[in-house]
Amino acid sequence: CTNELDQSPIDPDSFTEKNVFSNVENVKSALAKVYASLVLTGQSGPAGDADIQGIDEGTSQFSRMLFYMNELTTDHAVVGWGDPGLPDLHEMSWSSSNTLTEAMYYRLAQVVSFSNSFIVNATPLNDDVEVQYYIAEARFLRAYAYYNLLDLYGAVPITTTISTELPLQMTRKQVFEFVEGELLDVQNLLKDSGANEYGRVDKVAAWALLSRLYLNAEVYINENKYNECVTFSEKVINSSYIINTIDANSNGTAYDELFLADNDSNGAQNEFIFALNFDGLNSQTYAGTTFLIHASIGGTMDPADFGVNGGWFGLRTTKTLVQKFSSSVTGSDSGGDPIAWSDTRAMFYTDGQNLEITTIANEFTDGYAVTKFKNVDSNGAPGSDATGNFTDTDLPMIRLAEIYLNYAEATVRGGAGSIGTAVDLMNELRERAYGNQSGNIVSGDLDISFIMNERSRELYWEGFRRTDLIRNNQFTESSYLWPFKGGVAQGIGVGKFRDNFPFPTNIILTNPNIEQNNKY
Amino acid sequence: GIVKDKATDLPIGGVSILIENTNKGTITDFDGNYNLQLDDNDPKNIVISYLGYKTQILAIPLNGRLDVVLEEDVTSLTAVNLTVGYGSMKKDDMTGSADLVTTKDFNPGPVQSPQQLITGKVAGVTVTSGSGAPGDKQNIVIRGVGSLSLSSAPLIVLDGIPLSDSTVGGARDVLNTINPNDVESMVVLKDASATSIYGSRGANGVILITTKRGKNGAFKFSYNTMTSVATPFQKADVLGADEFRQLVTSLTKSADIAKLGSANTDWQDQIYQTAFGQQHDFSALGSFLNTPMRFSVGYSDQDGILKTDNFKRTTASLNLSPSFFEDHLKIEINGRGNYTENFFANRGAISSASDFDPTQSVYDPNSIFDGYYAWTGTNGYQLNLVPTNPVALLNLVSDSAEVRRFIGNTKVDYKLHFFPDVTATLNAGVDMANSNGRKVTSASIPTSDTSFDGSRTEYINESTNTLLDFYLTYQKDFDKHGINLVGGYSFQKFDVDNYNYDSEKEQNGNDFEFIDKNRNTLLSYFGRLNYDFDGKYLLTATLRADASSKLNPDNRWGLFSSFAAAWNIHKESFLEGNQNINELKLRLGYGEVGNVNGLGDYLFLTRYSGSQSTANYQFGSQYYQTYRPNPVNTNLRWEVGRTYNAGIDYAFFNRKISGSLNVYLKETQDLIANTVVDPFTNFGNRIDANIGDMENKGIEFSINWKTVSTETLKVNLGYNIAYNNNQVTRLPDQQFVGGISGGTGNNVQTHIEGAAPFSYLVYQQLYDTNGKPIEGAYVDRDHNGVINDKDKYLYKNPYANVTMGFNTSIQYRSIDFNMVTRASLGNYVYNNVSSSKGYANRLNETSILNNINRGYFTTEFKEMTQSNLLSDHYVENASFFKIDNITLGYTLPKVFEKVKIRLYSSVQNVLTITDYSGIDPEVNLGIDNNLYPRPRTYVFGLNVNF
Repeated sequence: CTNELDQSPIDPDSFTEKNVFSNVENVKSALAKVYASLVLTGQSGPAGDADIQGIDEGTSQFSRMLFYMNELTTDHAVVGWGDPGLPDLHEMSWSSSNTLTEAMYYRLAQVVSFSNSFIVNATPLNDDVEVQYYIAEARFLRAYAYYNLLDLYGAVPITTTISTELPLQMTRKQVFEFVEGELLDVQNLLKDSGANEYGRVDKVAAWALLSRLYLNAEVYINENKYNECVTFSEKVINSSYIINTIDANSNGTAYDELFLADNDSNGAQNEFIFALNFDGLNSQTYAGTTFLIHASIGGTMDPADFGVNGGWFGLRTTKTLVQKFSSSVTGSDSGGDPIAWSDTRAMFYTDGQNLEITTIANEFTDGYAVTKFKNVDSNGAPGSDATGNFTDTDLPMIRLAEIYLNYAEATVRGGAGSIGTAVDLMNELRERAYGNQSGNIVSGDLDISFIMNERSRELYWEGFRRTDLIRNNQFTESSYLWPFKGGVAQGIGVGKFRDNFPFPTNIILTNPNIEQNNKY
Repeated sequence: GIVKDKATDLPIGGVSILIENTNKGTITDFDGNYNLQLDDNDPKNIVISYLGYKTQILAIPLNGRLDVVLEEDVTSLTAVNLTVGYGSMKKDDMTGSADLVTTKDFNPGPVQSPQQLITGKVAGVTVTSGSGAPGDKQNIVIRGVGSLSLSSAPLIVLDGIPLSDSTVGGARDVLNTINPNDVESMVVLKDASATSIYGSRGANGVILITTKRGKNGAFKFSYNTMTSVATPFQKADVLGADEFRQLVTSLTKSADIAKLGSANTDWQDQIYQTAFGQQHDFSALGSFLNTPMRFSVGYSDQDGILKTDNFKRTTASLNLSPSFFEDHLKIEINGRGNYTENFFANRGAISSASDFDPTQSVYDPNSIFDGYYAWTGTNGYQLNLVPTNPVALLNLVSDSAEVRRFIGNTKVDYKLHFFPDVTATLNAGVDMANSNGRKVTSASIPTSDTSFDGSRTEYINESTNTLLDFYLTYQKDFDKHGINLVGGYSFQKFDVDNYNYDSEKEQNGNDFEFIDKNRNTLLSYFGRLNYDFDGKYLLTATLRADASSKLNPDNRWGLFSSFAAAWNIHKESFLEGNQNINELKLRLGYGEVGNVNGLGDYLFLTRYSGSQSTANYQFGSQYYQTYRPNPVNTNLRWEVGRTYNAGIDYAFFNRKISGSLNVYLKETQDLIANTVVDPFTNFGNRIDANIGDMENKGIEFSINWKTVSTETLKVNLGYNIAYNNNQVTRLPDQQFVGGISGGTGNNVQTHIEGAAPFSYLVYQQLYDTNGKPIEGAYVDRDHNGVINDKDKYLYKNPYANVTMGFNTSIQYRSIDFNMVTRASLGNYVYNNVSSSKGYANRLNETSILNNINRGYFTTEFKEMTQSNLLSDHYVENASFFKIDNITLGYTLPKVFEKVKIRLYSSVQNVLTITDYSGIDPEVNLGIDNNLYPRPRTYVFGLNVNF
């Protein structure tokens, strides 16, 4: 019976490397996992067989954690739940054992490992031209993961092979250069602008990410790259992607279409350079837009308006975000708090909600609720999951409007762009927001403070805020405060070291090559 | 003739009377009488033997009547042959620590699983029931937890077949398919020198279960029946309707007060019931055609105190043990088939009943959900995140399964004709289980899903475990030297084949299928040498090579050895014949055992998992199945447990006092734990890896005292106490375990170097001058001005330092009395019911009214934050003393010839003394979260033997 000791999987859902990389169709399924590792949480959907262990599976999804780390830590959001490590984020008191900052590190490193394995195993099949594109896309996704590691943690290790050897730590500059080099490389290997199928990236994604990388170069490498930012922003602006102007639900603006259940087909898709695709039936998760929509509902809000079966009584925003829309207020309640705006990007639910927050935990009605994301389509019909649990709404990670703002900011910060073009780009966004030209600006209005506020108005809850505040020296500093910043009701500055998140304690323990970020 | 006891002059039943050198014979009845038919050619001597007495060989007198007086053999109790794995041995000759519990010491009462027979009886062995559900899981731990990720459960060997430690879906416990009435004895092997012959699967101790078998002689029959009444007497501590009204009115807003109903509903009364049970067992034992045999059938039917819960079991077993060629060839055939039907009550009702607003009625004529009251929104459907009517949860969800199990083996012992010192043994066995289950949720259950059409999950699980052992035993005495040498081979294969499908309808339709299959094998070579010199000096050495298919070929084989020595001091000349010191044995042992129990299969191979159809990914307009590479560890090795054991077995004053004392140190090395791996170097952030070490050390002491032993009154007292200290001695990364309810993903326990496994990791609560906890105020342990997870500290653990068992049995004429008690000291429990349900905001959270736990009145916490949940205030001392069982029996004066009738009545779960504020301090793994309460059970039973 000694032969009987050699057992191999007999489960029909288990495959070996040979099975998976046997033909191009299977290779595409393997590529789908590299994408899906940023979108879903495991192989079971919505939960079960998770990719990341040691954290609630629904919490372990990339965009949900990005929201927690880049929005919840700022003036854009608060949450009422007692999930592990969560209250510490808005209070800016996280430690190196924080479950969320730890899981995000694992998630991004795992995307790197998945990509590395994919690239190595798919390479022998690259006489097929489609496989060459797959490999270029995996390299883009790896660079995207590294961009996030660079932004959140800084000096992370770099691996491009599959090896059990513990990787060495790089400097933040080396990580920056790696991301830059990879993107410069793959811009020539990816499909042409608009030539790929929905959900997969093309050249423009590489340019757009370069634009974002260069905009923040001063933070990352202490060196400005605004000229490069302008160059790559221009490439994106001149590509086939366009700002969505189709007001598919005829409510007077084409902005809300970007966050509806049919945003893969209502016109919004033309603005999405890189989006995470969710589907109520085929791609289920307790995160992504399912999280953003359910968690934002509570109080007297009617879940049916959002195409879901109920609220999770979690997310609200602070008055600091609401105040960004002060100039467009068209109505106030008896207490003088705003309840209507002409800027249609001010998507707040105010009925029964207090603008001022006195209690964060378990008190949904403190702080305005946000109605930006919905699981209804342009006709008002709910998404495909009839149970109302899981949403269809895709989530843009890179969309053209951001690049407009990047161009404008890089130009104002001294890059070789044109102020006139920048003003035009801003007005294009604002005309969509106002439904007319009433909100347009002139070149005298265009300064850093305007652009920062405009980024808030255009991109809030899309995962940018912390990065933007750091670039503007406002994240940890006491010069810019919001309710409960630093755990104090009126807000307080915290240590500058919190601009970077810590390496997880367990990584420090397992990989002696890694030195913890200063002061953690 | 009649057989009597020399000391008491009372007749002895069950004495074996055998015609010398034949298989012909009989046994005495309860009055000591026997009758034996002789042929003229039969030999003229009979052999009279009985356990615990000196055997006599007497000539048959001419008048045909032979009355016999048997003399108690004080040494013979230690001469009982114990099964020790691949052979048996007299306890006197053993060098390891073994505890024998036989029928007469078993716990009485409505026992559904054999483990319950020995609860509290053996020092260092804890048996904790998972809950109060009938037939529910029994968790056994011997000498503390020995592993972090792998199984800490002992190996259970039933009649020589090591059972698989996994249950099939739909079975409540791995052993509840075995009728406890078929069990003759249980031997607990605790130290590695005793368990190592079982190799890798014996790392956490071994429990050997021997079932009753046939005997030579005329058939005897036995019928046992009992009726039980289980009463729920413990309920979660929540507010009554009036109290609830008062609190809501005083604390919440008018909009919430308006939601108060006019009913007074005790939701817990609605879900619990007084539960009845019955049990019938019949067995026949004797010999037919010269073949000793035993046959039994049993049936039991037990309701749970949670309404709709029920456990039914039908069992049948057959044992044949013929022998041939003047005992040169012995064959033993065991077969037992079991069929259990389980109706699982929906346990969600327990939590829901303590949440649900007591001012609402169970029924609501306007409800669209079969008339059950529900918290509904404007569309008439149930709101999200609100408790569901507990009565609806019980009545509108049906969850049942049938489990069939067959365990059988054939063992052939052949004593070589040409070399009778050598016996060859072949043992082939199979343990097959198969379950069919289904869970159907009615379309009318309260839900927020407007399209809900019911749901149905069905499953078919199969598990097959086959065994083949072959070994040779050489036994020879040379003058004063005794040698017993065993060498052999063992192969086991475990197959699991699970199939299930989910449907989004009450009936079939819209199906999702899942198949889960795996297989692992275990192959071993083993050898054991026992040497004794003059019965005084004993040595045992074992060597076992194990290979598991779970490990990669390079690390697959593990070689484990053990050594032990014992000294029978009482056999030395200076003590021989001393009536005050009947036994004094000193034992020393060391042994190693490998462990991979509970480790997943194929972990050393890179495997890809295909996504289910709900986790596919969209490219263009198509959804693609995704393939994920799974975490891999090519370096997995055997986890190795090493035990050092020193012990003394003693018996004094004509064996009036006897017992044993053991000291042990158990080190687990290369501990396999689910540990962090740098995900840049693997396909996940955790893998099972050999990373740590753990240590258990302790002392065990047991004593049995025959306080009074006269003809009319016998009083026996048994007491055991064990101290165990468990510590993780090496672990590179900290692990967070012990998931709790409240928030999402909170853990309250940790494994960390230097502390006991599952230690609580909590914030240190600050209290005001009145001793009331101050909400949100915790000790800033790292003095950095910020309270975050770095301020948590290690505080206590769920394991008792000291466990005790105390048993009393009294026999006065025809009346017998038995009491079993247990105590556990130093075990702590996290009261999750109080922490997740005892805060003011809960009253009107999520726009409805919720009942709250009375723990609120102690803390008066307003919010449930992460830090409030993890306050050390909720980690409570749960030391306890329990009277598990009191039984009173009465044996009727003889009504019919040869018929013995005993009536008895017993109470289970009689009394608990504890400071713990939750409903029951006995919580497996230490997190009290809506425990299914253990009922108090009254039993009335009847035994008839004829």
